[in-house]
Amino acid sequence: MALEEANLRPAPRARPAVWYRSWRFYAGCAVVLLVYGYGWRITQIHLAELWRGARLIEPFVVALSSPDILTREPRTEGASAPFYYGGQAPPAPPTPSGPRLVLSPRTGPIGTRIRAEGRGFAPGRPGVLWWENQIGQRQQVASFVTDSQGRFAVGFTAPPAQGTRNLVVAEVTTGAGPLRPSPTLVVVVDRMIETIFLALMGTTMGVLFAVPLSFLGARNLTSHVPGGGVVYALTRACFNLTRSIEALVLAIIFTVWVGLGPFAGVLALGVHSIAALGKLYSEAIESIDRGPIEAITATGASPLQVVRYAVVPQIVPQFIAFTIYRWDINVRFSTVIGFVGGGGIGFVLQQYINLLQWRQAATALWMIAIVVALLDYASAVVRERIV
Amino acid sequence: MSEPVLRIERLTKVYPDGTRALSDVSFEVARGEFVVIIGLSGSGKSTLLRCINRLVEPTSGRIVFEGRDVTAASRQELREIRRRIGMIFQQFNLVRRASVLTNVLSGRLGYLPPSWALANYFPGPLVQQALANLERVGIPEKAAARADTLSGGQQQRVGIARALMQEPRLILADEPVASLDPAMSHSVLRYIEELNRKDGITVLCSLHFLSLARRYGTRILALRAGELVFDGLPREIDEARFRGIYGEEAVAVEIG
Ligand SMILES: Nc1ncnc2c1ncn2[C@@H]1O[C@H](COP(=O)(O)OP(=O)(O)OP(=O)(O)O)[C@@H](O)[C@H]1O
Ligand SMILES: [Mg+2]
Repeated sequence: MALEEANLRPAPRARPAVWYRSWRFYAGCAVVLLVYGYGWRITQIHLAELWRGARLIEPFVVALSSPDILTREPRTEGASAPFYYGGQAPPAPPTPSGPRLVLSPRTGPIGTRIRAEGRGFAPGRPGVLWWENQIGQRQQVASFVTDSQGRFAVGFTAPPAQGTRNLVVAEVTTGAGPLRPSPTLVVVVDRMIETIFLALMGTTMGVLFAVPLSFLGARNLTSHVPGGGVVYALTRACFNLTRSIEALVLAIIFTVWVGLGPFAGVLALGVHSIAALGKLYSEAIESIDRGPIEAITATGASPLQVVRYAVVPQIVPQFIAFTIYRWDINVRFSTVIGFVGGGGIGFVLQQYINLLQWRQAATALWMIAIVVALLDYASAVVRERIV
Repeated sequence: MSEPVLRIERLTKVYPDGTRALSDVSFEVARGEFVVIIGLSGSGKSTLLRCINRLVEPTSGRIVFEGRDVTAASRQELREIRRRIGMIFQQFNLVRRASVLTNVLSGRLGYLPPSWALANYFPGPLVQQALANLERVGIPEKAAARADTLSGGQQQRVGIARALMQEPRLILADEPVASLDPAMSHSVLRYIEELNRKDGITVLCSLHFLSLARRYGTRILALRAGELVFDGLPREIDEARFRGIYGEEAVAVEIG
């Protein structure tokens, strides 16, 4: 009874000061204003720039709606004829069926006026005449349009070129070809695959090293062994130190070490993952329930059996969940590791942006967004299944 | 009388921090007995039970199980001894993420080559035996369920089935019903009693409630601060003895 009565009567308390009468409130306001005012200045926030700079980024925003994905390669037909410098006439070419090109003369010094006649081409089509030197370098020497019988005739001057054997090539555009993946798309897909594998190798490296290390970083396992405390403290300190270095910084270091390219990226991701996963794994091991271990030991099981039936079931689901989570982060991260030369799609994205190739940059960006979102979704599904 | 199943001689356990959990405890357990150990919290009941299969390493004294010296056993001998001693825990100690069937089968590990564990292999007849044991404790339909989806009473019955897989001569039960409600407590204790009566498995069981101890025990041991203060029949515990075991302020609580 006495207890209930006591509960009914609230304990007398000092009347709280009304907030707007407290000097602390105003002092607090002043401090907050100061901090944010200084922050605004030091980070050079100029909201007007957002408006003024908008036109610079406009082509990119427009390009986002028309990324460079597909092209129609023009279909062409062509014919060629040799021209030699230095007096010796080339052997007469065999007469091919279809388009044909005839030069006159067929030999002479640099600067000779040459007349080129073609026949058998598609009628009424634009064409280009190329000069190809002995090592296959091309330059355009004339352009033309074929007549209604598919013939043309143009004159041009033999250009300065090294070597004696040259080839004149006539190329006529006959129409647009089928839709094909653009060269940009090919490059971007290629780099995206590199990116995904970069993340895979980095994550794998992280897992391979983090699993054994995590046992050293688990307090419940190390505390029974003499010297275990030192091992535990050292392992944990290593994890924490390494984790505090951004993977991008590690990537810069590794590009110096092993050179530019995906390998540097793999190492950077790998080292960062070892630390991050090691810590998570250790904590998973520390949260393990000792009960099942005792129970299985009490049945007369050997240490191997105890690990298999009492330890592994407790840690494996968590290990898998953490690994998928890390793989997620690594895929995301490997898209920018190319900015510092660590390989992956970031490298080409940076090039496109620097060269103001907005449509190409848009292709790379869309690719990153779609692939990362898909992997994100997939890993979420897998993780949900396991845990 | 024939050779006792278990003989404890002057068993003493001092923990590394200096706690004297058992001092100079000696007794014998004959085949087929249902011995209940009572005592206040901290009196050393768990320590005593865990010393018997050496989950806890005794400081001094001797433990003899079926004529074999447990305290002097090598690793291999200890495995052989342990597989004949089933253990049931207050917290059930099942592998929560594993299936009920796997949990029951794991009771047999002491008889199997360790390398089979890598492939998670159990021979077919053992699986049949595990299912039969689940049937015996009344939950055959739970074989495929994950252990942590079961109620406390069901989990403890899985614990009993796991101990049964060992084909034990002795079952150690450390407060097997302390986490269960009264009705469940009786149900679980009746299963243990049945093993004792029908299969002739000797039982050593610690219990909190004297009423339960009186109802199920054929003999009662009482510990107080690590010393054996009573060893006799349930009906011999009168008011004076009760106060001697539990202290002057204690009041007997009846459990349904
Ligand atoms: N690992 C340990 N290290 C140190 N002291 C321990 C350890 N385990 C138990 N003790 C101590 O030994 C004594 C006996 O403990 P024990 O667990 O055997 O008692 P119990 O009778 O089972 O008690 P309860 O009814 O609470 O389970 C207690 O004083 C306890 O604090
Ligand atoms: Mg206890």
